[in-house]
Amino acid sequence: MDKSLFRYIWRYSSREQLVIFAVILASLPFYFWSLDLPKSIVNDVIQAGAFKNGKTDAIFLEIAFTPPAFLGNWGRIVVFPGITVDQLGLLLGLSLMFLVLVLINGAFKYWINVAKGALGERMLRRLRFDLFAVTLRFTPNTLRTVKASETATIIKDEVEPIGGFIGDAFVQPLLLGTQALTAMVFILMQNVWLGLLAGAVVGVQFTVIPRMRRIQLRLGKKRQIASRRLAGRIGEIVDGMEAVHVHNATRWERAEIGERLYYLFDLRFRIYKWKFMVKFLNNLLAQITPFFFYVVGGYLALKGHLDIGQLVAVIGAYRDLPPPLKELIDWDQQRLDVQIKYDQIIQQFLPDRLLPPESMDEPGEIPSLDGPVAFKNLHVLDAHGGTLLEGVTLAWPYPARVALVGDTGPGPGVMARVLGRRIVDYGGSATIAGNELSQMPDSIAGRRVAYVGSEPILFPGTLRDNLVYGLRYAPRHQGEDGDDGEMQRILEAKRTGNPSDRLNDDWIDYQAAGVDGDEELDVQLIEILTELELADDVYRFGLSGLVDLDRQPELEEQVVEARHLLRAKLAEAGLERLVEPFDIDRYNRQASIGENLLFGASTAPSFSGRGLVSNPLLRAVLDSEELTDELVELGARIAETMTEIFRDLPPGHPLFDQFSFIAADDLQDYEDIMRRRSMRGTGALSREDRTRLLALPFDYIEPRHRLGFLNDKLRDRIVAARRALRDRLKGSLFENDLVLYDPDELCSAAPLRDNLLFGRVAHDIADAPSRITTLISEVVDELGLRQSVEVVGLGYQVGPAGRLLTPQQRAGVALGRCIVKRPDHFILNNAMTAYGDAQARRLLARLLDTHRERCIVAVMRQLHSPEDFDVVVEFDGAGARIVHGTDLSAVENGTHDGEAATDEAEAVGRERGSRDKVEAILAKGRS
Amino acid sequence: MTLESEVQSLRQVPMFREIDPARLKLLAFTSERVGFAPGQLFFRQGDASDAAYVILAGRAQVVLDLPAGAFKIAELGTNDIVGEMGILSDTPRSASVIAEGEVTALRIDKRVFLELLGQFPQMSIAVMRELAKRLERTNARLAESSS
Repeated sequence: MDKSLFRYIWRYSSREQLVIFAVILASLPFYFWSLDLPKSIVNDVIQAGAFKNGKTDAIFLEIAFTPPAFLGNWGRIVVFPGITVDQLGLLLGLSLMFLVLVLINGAFKYWINVAKGALGERMLRRLRFDLFAVTLRFTPNTLRTVKASETATIIKDEVEPIGGFIGDAFVQPLLLGTQALTAMVFILMQNVWLGLLAGAVVGVQFTVIPRMRRIQLRLGKKRQIASRRLAGRIGEIVDGMEAVHVHNATRWERAEIGERLYYLFDLRFRIYKWKFMVKFLNNLLAQITPFFFYVVGGYLALKGHLDIGQLVAVIGAYRDLPPPLKELIDWDQQRLDVQIKYDQIIQQFLPDRLLPPESMDEPGEIPSLDGPVAFKNLHVLDAHGGTLLEGVTLAWPYPARVALVGDTGPGPGVMARVLGRRIVDYGGSATIAGNELSQMPDSIAGRRVAYVGSEPILFPGTLRDNLVYGLRYAPRHQGEDGDDGEMQRILEAKRTGNPSDRLNDDWIDYQAAGVDGDEELDVQLIEILTELELADDVYRFGLSGLVDLDRQPELEEQVVEARHLLRAKLAEAGLERLVEPFDIDRYNRQASIGENLLFGASTAPSFSGRGLVSNPLLRAVLDSEELTDELVELGARIAETMTEIFRDLPPGHPLFDQFSFIAADDLQDYEDIMRRRSMRGTGALSREDRTRLLALPFDYIEPRHRLGFLNDKLRDRIVAARRALRDRLKGSLFENDLVLYDPDELCSAAPLRDNLLFGRVAHDIADAPSRITTLISEVVDELGLRQSVEVVGLGYQVGPAGRLLTPQQRAGVALGRCIVKRPDHFILNNAMTAYGDAQARRLLARLLDTHRERCIVAVMRQLHSPEDFDVVVEFDGAGARIVHGTDLSAVENGTHDGEAATDEAEAVGRERGSRDKVEAILAKGRS
Repeated sequence: MTLESEVQSLRQVPMFREIDPARLKLLAFTSERVGFAPGQLFFRQGDASDAAYVILAGRAQVVLDLPAGAFKIAELGTNDIVGEMGILSDTPRSASVIAEGEVTALRIDKRVFLELLGQFPQMSIAVMRELAKRLERTNARLAESSS
């Protein structure tokens, strides 16, 4: 990126800048004409200037000119002779022309503003994208010192004012400069002395004010850094909220943020003082000039050196000078301001903090890395210059199962990080199949080497998205380009140096995963998750997930079939009472009043939670069925009971969240409503109060809450309202917000489990939920649907950073993501810390067994089962050596030539090494 | 049967007799009313103690599972409480409880119960008093049998 903002702007927008400038120039004649026209209207028509000497008509719209004499004697050439009009006609004609000019000026202004805005936004997009692209190139070392939220504010907020400035960057000074210069020349032409006087004041303005503003800008720069740090700090605190609460550090953090805010205020305050001082001075200088004009000009006029007309003209012209000057100074201020901001931003993205751009390039062919791993005199230092690894020379063959063992010290982890390219500034050499790791581009290493650290990194999205994250190398274009919107999108991307890749294309490299398509990939993912002992979890996710019929159309019928089988099984076992099925003609006692009214699953907020009670359609139905009053009354009774029962619990008590209809924060509000009700009666409550009361009974389930509020008559009326709602829903605005239950159809908005049950589990039968879960499992297995359910589970949303998953599930996803891309080298750097000891060992043994044909490297504190490994590297301080298996580097340094050495070493690598060496390590570990 | 009738049942339980009606209502509301089929287990000996039950209607048997076979050691009827010792002492179930016929019971969740005891000292004292009384009776019985 350019060091100078102006060079950056000019490089990418010179053409647009010139076009805008040309249009502005073209608009000027019309502008001046529109300024001139009122004068003609007043002078020629209203004051009858054109109708002097008894003329009763005038010529309007004559277009004629006289060529200069040196072109020959052409006389006056008339292009359009004009129309002869009377006074009223001329007034009308000139006024209409004024109107036309106003429209033309408006159109010009519109075009210029849009063009400037678009130019600014395009440059802003380019700048943001460039910054983001550079962020992707941060070296692992740089990343350690970069704060996520700081980078986010830089890319999002700090560049914003630069974008606003870009449209004016070149056009504004040119335009204002021309205007100011014209006024100056005009004054100079009237009187040189007065001209020089005005020039001197302008000179002072242009030298003193920018100097004063420089101080202001320095403060602004400090403020920019301070507010960026504030954003970073808040981000850190939010991320580390757990530690803040665990260690009762809220007061400390409050104090810290308070102090930062004071510093920001102080800077702002000082900036204000300077700013208004500058403003004062500016105004003073602008207004002191007329003072000089009156004094000096008046004196000159009295002495007869200047005629009065000239003086008036000079003062008149001077009125036009300050506005452009002021704007020019403002522009200069803005220029310095954004230049400083730009410099500050660029500071964060210096080349020495970045990986070379080639490392992001996409090579044509991806070489296989199925060769030995070799380290020659490997040196790694930590951030403070301490030695982590020193003089490590060793090599292992391909394929091999390698253990990096070290009880104390960072050695094994460091070597794993070098292999995973998480450390690239090492000394000496580290190669895979002859390719130096620090020089290897992402595109090769990302596909052929998989690295998992101890902290899995997940992105929000589905489980599937996270698992295939490592397969999204390049989009395969689907569908046609013909779409206008799409062409526009690509055009804009090209204009701003953004990628034209489409997110909706299929990005997944199925070949890399060894499958043919989406369906096979899902099966593969399920197999991998099963291998990682996550099958039950995915199955559970599946039952609570929504079926995506585009992905699994076959489930539409299968689920209904399973639903019927489940019903049959319940009947067979005499357990029908465990589930009360949905029946359009009957009130479902195990479901809430709200569910009974809707008899369907919502896809939008208009039919769920707080949206339900304010849904106009539902309210209309309740009104027409005369249920509103009754439900409000019910709500009042619930509120009464709840305020009575929960009154003595402190707010925030866990029992509130679990049992109360009313959130702890709302309890006081409801108490107030109840007080108003007892004073004036339900009928006198405001609409808002009634709405709040109405919200309560929607969640009421009689067998669960047992307040004894429902009777058969009310139930029948609710069922009637359900039908009325159905009728009104058809063709209404909300038609697609509610998917109605149908015994013979899959309800796409309801979870799979609800679809299988097609009813509600009885609340008042002991152990009903667990018995139903077992039955569902039986049905699913009987119909061979388990895998389909698990595929539904792949659509589970993992939440921000995967927080909706357990640590074990997160670790599993991080491992699965590596396994699915079938890397040549699979590096596990404490990837199993989330698991218990037994499970970690079991999983590692399974991975070692299933990945025999590649290189799998595991970091461990102690070697538990040496027979599982072909090569064991033992770390001791900053050194490391192979204690089990053959060190290939020793073979290479011998008399063999390279290729033969590799062959031999591979042969050796495959054979199990001597037991006694391993015993020695184990003994050492124990002692 | 509604919450009110459950509160009436809870009042019959010696352990809860002296507790404020408003608290009993909270206890009832935060409990679940569950039905057991004839022969259905409330819980099995050795299970983790997760809840206590107050029988609202029907009868149940307390059964000790011994290597020699099952021994019925007590019979429970309306307004009897069972399983409360396990959730207080945090020990596994010392016996199994089986419904004799159709039984309706109030299931008091362990976590909720302890939460309430922690919140309301008056409830804790009532429970302690009942436990102390039981201990006293046991001591008296021991003294009787040893003398």
